Amino acid sequence: MNTGAKASRAQMRAADESGVPARLYGLRRPTRILVNGLAAAFALFILAPLVWLVINSTKSQASLYNSFGFWFSGSFQLWQNLAALGQDVSGAGVFTQWFGNTLLYAIVGGAGATALSALAGYGFSRYRFAGSQALFMVVMSTLMIPLTAVALPLFLVYSKVGLVNSVWGMILPSMVSPIGIYLMRTYISASVPREVMEAARMDGASEFGIFTRIAVPLSVPGLVTVFLLTLVAIWNNYFLPLMIFSKSKFYPLTVGLSALSRAAETGSKADVVPVLITGGLVTILPLIVLFVLLQRYFRGGLLQGSTTG
Amino acid sequence: MKGRQVDRERSGALFVAPHMIMLALFMIVPTAYALWSSLYATKLVGGTSFVGLANYGTVLTSGDFWTGVVRVLVFGAVQVPVTLALAFLFAALFDAGVVGGSRFYRTVYFVPFAVPGVVASIMWSFLLLPGFGPYAQLLKVIGFGDVDFFSSNLILPTIFLIVVWEWTGYNMTILYTSLRSIPKEVTEAAIVDGASLWSVILRVKLPMVMPSIVMLVFINSVGALQLFTEPSILAAFQPQAISFGFTPSMFVYNTAVGSGEYELGAAAAIILAVLIGLVSYVGFALSRRKGDDA
Repeated sequence: MNTGAKASRAQMRAADESGVPARLYGLRRPTRILVNGLAAAFALFILAPLVWLVINSTKSQASLYNSFGFWFSGSFQLWQNLAALGQDVSGAGVFTQWFGNTLLYAIVGGAGATALSALAGYGFSRYRFAGSQALFMVVMSTLMIPLTAVALPLFLVYSKVGLVNSVWGMILPSMVSPIGIYLMRTYISASVPREVMEAARMDGASEFGIFTRIAVPLSVPGLVTVFLLTLVAIWNNYFLPLMIFSKSKFYPLTVGLSALSRAAETGSKADVVPVLITGGLVTILPLIVLFVLLQRYFRGGLLQGSTTG
Repeated sequence: MKGRQVDRERSGALFVAPHMIMLALFMIVPTAYALWSSLYATKLVGGTSFVGLANYGTVLTSGDFWTGVVRVLVFGAVQVPVTLALAFLFAALFDAGVVGGSRFYRTVYFVPFAVPGVVASIMWSFLLLPGFGPYAQLLKVIGFGDVDFFSSNLILPTIFLIVVWEWTGYNMTILYTSLRSIPKEVTEAAIVDGASLWSVILRVKLPMVMPSIVMLVFINSVGALQLFTEPSILAAFQPQAISFGFTPSMFVYNTAVGSGEYELGAAAAIILAVLIGLVSYVGFALSRRKGDDA
């Protein structure tokens, strides 16, 4: 079906430029207005909560509850709210610490997942060895194992070996990415020619040397895609860290914000809600920026049917 | 020459080894350990003892667990078709080029993919909170009165709203990409034959992207059956609206971490995994059967 990521990207670009001209459909004016209106309405549905988040990150707790959500009110509190992210306002923990943790988990975990996927994808695509096909089937079948079904088993093992409340307990399982292997195998099959590998062998290059000097440079777009997809999956992961961390200093953003939202509702301390809202904004901004800048890499990976969330 | 071949085999195995070791340590070993420990029970007095399949019996006879299972099945039966219908509609309209500024829309629709479920649920909770939430206020102004999105009747539709917000763009993006790969000659031929926009979309293009749709039904259904993040965050805002076993995943979490009955939780997690496996297997078999008939 897919001749590979490179080919499909080229197809996509070609298709982008040469669709069938819309006027051929001869749509009537009311229909045109209707479909444009639908698209705009759905965009409004998507954007409204984000607009709400931006507006309300500028409010104090009092004006949050006393004003209409979709307009500014009271004094401009954004800087104070951002400053509060560095403090433990609720007793639930410190937002900036969670942010640092998430960065660490997502970057180290994503880089590890990319490296492991590249190695394994290369091995599966370019070598045949005893049991290679069976092993690949094993990897692909782990795609079907639901995340929520693995988190509790991991927690049970961790409590035996002392990985509960450990940074590695979060990072190491995040490096296992069957979809990353699938993507890398497809990508390498399409973009690393066997003839080039054979020529390098003639010149006396080692197998690992061929991987680092030829396969890796030729697979950079694929590597970026896998890195971004695993990064987002770790950034947004909630169930696993919720299971394995009980100390707030290890929380990633997702678990920290959920602890904060409970603290906000029980309402023991003041001014938790602005931190929750501003914290939500700071949590999503890096990923939205990353995504808008690097859209084509995300799409390249999604096409292959990724589901890492 | 022969030695070289063996060398090459060995390097192939070495390339896949790091991942396979991690897979064993962080997926296979934990799963095996969970299976083993689900056969035990820990009592405050008396310690841990072998109980056989008693934990499975407890979960399978728990009304709370089954209510959760039925709830996510109902949820999935509504959410998956609606999400995919919306995603396909917009993907097809953008693909046909009948919407101005579709590049902008495609970017906007995909943005929730970058928003963690936790943050999405927090935002929507505030937007819908009775009294305070601007959407609740707007509904009151238009004359719907005080709508309580967290009441037991509306909590599932509220979660549905959040999940549609989160996942329509992701599905739309995948379907858009598959639609783009349909050769334009096919579309042109249909138009020359006098087909309208809607019949091109439904009769020509929909069948051609069916494989992607089947895959997405599968992905979305597995997601729906695992529903956890959204109800668990809504529970922080309105604890009384979300029960202990509101979804099977919440049952697993609350049994294991909440009540400290780890072995029982492990049994529930395994039953959930088997149920998800069954649903996906049946779905897969049905789609195969349909494919053969066509």
